[in-house]
Amino acid sequence: MVEFVEFSGLTPAYRQAGKKLNKPKELDKPELSSRALQKKEVKDMGDVWKGAMVDSLNKFLGKVITFLPNLLAMITILIIGFLIAWVVKIILLRFLKAVHFDRASERWGLAQILSKGGMAYSPANLLSRFFYWVIVLITLILGINALEVAATQNFIARFFNYLPNLFAALLILVVGYLIAIFLGQATLIAAVNAQMETARLLGRAVRWFIIILSLTMALYHLGIAEKVIIVAFTIFFGGLILALSVAFGWGGRDLAKNFLEKLSERRAKGTEEKDQISHI
Amino acid sequence: MGKSLQTQLEEIKRADILIGIPSYNNVRTIGHVVRAVTAGLAKYFPGTKAVIFNSDGGSTDGTQEEVKRVQIEDFKTILTSYPVHPIHKVVNPYHGIPGKGSAFRAIFEAARFLNAKACAVVDSDLRSITPEWMDLLLTPVYREGFDYVAPLYARHKFDGTITNSIVYPLTRALYGKRVRQPIGGDFGFSGELAKFYLTKDVWETDVARFGIDIWMTTLAVAEGYQVCQSYLGAKLHDAKDPGSDLGPMFVQVVSSVYRLMADYRDSWEKVKESQPVPTFGFHYEVGLEPVPVNVGRMIHSFRLGVKDLMEIWQKALQQESARWLESIGHMSEEAFFFPQDLWVQIIYDFAIAYRNGSVHRDHLIKSMIPLYLGRVASFVRENGESSAREVEEKIEHLCVVFEEMKPYLIERWTEAEK
Repeated sequence: MVEFVEFSGLTPAYRQAGKKLNKPKELDKPELSSRALQKKEVKDMGDVWKGAMVDSLNKFLGKVITFLPNLLAMITILIIGFLIAWVVKIILLRFLKAVHFDRASERWGLAQILSKGGMAYSPANLLSRFFYWVIVLITLILGINALEVAATQNFIARFFNYLPNLFAALLILVVGYLIAIFLGQATLIAAVNAQMETARLLGRAVRWFIIILSLTMALYHLGIAEKVIIVAFTIFFGGLILALSVAFGWGGRDLAKNFLEKLSERRAKGTEEKDQISHI
Repeated sequence: MGKSLQTQLEEIKRADILIGIPSYNNVRTIGHVVRAVTAGLAKYFPGTKAVIFNSDGGSTDGTQEEVKRVQIEDFKTILTSYPVHPIHKVVNPYHGIPGKGSAFRAIFEAARFLNAKACAVVDSDLRSITPEWMDLLLTPVYREGFDYVAPLYARHKFDGTITNSIVYPLTRALYGKRVRQPIGGDFGFSGELAKFYLTKDVWETDVARFGIDIWMTTLAVAEGYQVCQSYLGAKLHDAKDPGSDLGPMFVQVVSSVYRLMADYRDSWEKVKESQPVPTFGFHYEVGLEPVPVNVGRMIHSFRLGVKDLMEIWQKALQQESARWLESIGHMSEEAFFFPQDLWVQIIYDFAIAYRNGSVHRDHLIKSMIPLYLGRVASFVRENGESSAREVEEKIEHLCVVFEEMKPYLIERWTEAEK
C-alpha cells in the first residue's frame, strides 16, 4: 500500500530542518567553529533536497494512480472496439456476398463508378471496410475521451464541430475525381474519333483541370488559406490564358497562321475524299 | 397519343393495312415514297382498307405538307385499278426522344388503335422504292401468315459495313436465323407483333433512335415469331444519308445489340447453329454506282486508337488481342491486315465488357469506332478487286467464324456471371 501524503507547504523533515536553522540560541553559540557550521548547513540542504524529491515522487505517483484507471479504460475500449469492428466487417461482408450485393451494385452502376475511379475493392468489400473504419474511428474517439484529459476533450469537441466540413470536402474531392475521370475519358475518345493527334494531351488537360478545381473547392471548404487559394487559382488560370493568348496572338502569329491554313486545306481535302459508304 | 391523332384515327375506325413512313426534313423524297406506297396498295391490295401514317419528327422544310398534298391523279397511268376504299393519310408529329424509334412507336400505337392486320414501314429518303415493295413487305404477313418481314437488298460490296461486319454475323450466330439485313430500315410486320412491341418499356433508350431496327428484328427472332425476308432490289438513299454520321449511329446500334444479348441470354445460349429464313421476291442483279472509300483515313483512325485508346481497350480485351492490335498498328498502309478471327474475338470481348460494365458503356462503344474502321479498311483492301458475289462469300465466311467462336463467348459470359 502506498501512503498518500497531502501537500501542506512544508514536509515534516523540512520543517524540522527549518526549526533548527532558525534557532537563535544555536547560532549564537561561540564554541561552534565555522567549519562545523558549514558541515551542518550541507547536511540540512541534503535533507531539504531529499524531502523535495520524495515529495515530487509522491505527487507523480499520485497522478499516475489517478490516471491509471482511465488508461486501463481506454485500452479496454480500444480492444473491444477493434474486435467489434473486425467482427462487423466479417459478418457484413458475408451478408453482402450472400445477398449478391456486388451484382446488384453492377446493375445500379455503382461498380462501374468505383471501377472508373480506379477502386480495386469490390463494392461489398468496400462497404464492409468502410463500416470497419467507422467503428475504429468511433472507438478511438471513445478511447481518447476515456482518458479524461482536458486538452483531448477540447480537441474532440472541436473535431466533431469540424466533421461536417471534412465530410463535405471529402465528398467534393471524390465526386470531382470521378467527374474528372469521366470527362477526361470522354474527351480522349471524342478527340481520337475526330482524328486529333493531340487527343491524349486534351484528355489529360480536361482531367487535371477538374481535379485542380475540385481540390481548390475542397480546401476552400475546409477553410485552409482561403484567400491564398483563390488568389493562386486566379493567378494560375489567368496566367495560363494570358500565356496562351500571347503565344498565339503575338509570339506564334506565323505558327497560328500556318496551322489555320493547313486546317483549312485539310478540311477542303477531307470534303473531297469523304467516304460515301453507308455504314448501316 | 395526342388528342388530334386520336380524333383522326377514331374517324378511320379500323384498317386492314397500315404503312408507316417516319420522316424528318425529307421534302425532296417523301413525295416519291408516298406515291409508290399509294400505287402499291392500289395495285396489290385494292380491296383492303389501308392507311398511310406519316410519323414526323418536326420537319421544318414542308415534309408534312408534301405528304398531305401528294396523290395519284390517274391510277390508269401506272396500270393499276382504283382502290375500292380510299387510302387514308394521317400526318402526325410524334412525341418523345427525337429519333427513328420514337417515330416507330407512334406507328405501332396507330396499328394497335386501328387493329391493323399487316403493317409495313419504309424510309422517307428512299429513291429506289417501287410499288412492288408493298407486295413484298405485306403479302408474307397479310396472306402467308408470317409475323415479320426483313428486307433483302442488292447493295454495293462496300455498303452496309456495320451490318456486314457486326450486326448480321453476330445476330445470326446468337439467334440462329440468317436474316441478311437485320437493320435494313424497311420492314413488314403483323398487327400482333406491333402490339407486342408496345408492351416493352424501351422508349427512353437507344431503341428510340437508331437501335429500333435491330431491336425489332431481335425480338421477332428471339420471341419465336415467324420471320422471313423479301428481296426488294437496290436500296438508294437521298444524298442526306444519316449513315454519314457514323459516331451516334454506331453507338446506338451496337449498344442495342449488346443490351439485347443480356436480355436474351437464355435464348441464344441454346442455339448451336444457324438456319436460313424463307425468302420472297425475285432475285436479280443490279448495277450499282461505285462507292469511294478513303482507306488511308480509316487506317489513320485505327492507329490513333492503338496509340491513345489501348488503356481502355485493355479493360475489355485479352492480353494477346491487345498485343496483336499493337502489331497491326505498326503495319504499313500497303501491308495493313486485320484478321477475321481477331475481329470476332474483339466483338465478343467487348460484349462481355459491356455486360460487366467495367468501363462506362457509352465510352466503351465509342472507343470501338477506330477498331471498326481498322477492320473496314482491311476488308476494303482485301476485296478491292473482288466481285459482289466473292465479297458475299467472304461475309459468309466471317459468319461461320462468329458461329465457330460462339463457345468462347458462352464460356466467358458464364465466367462473368459467377
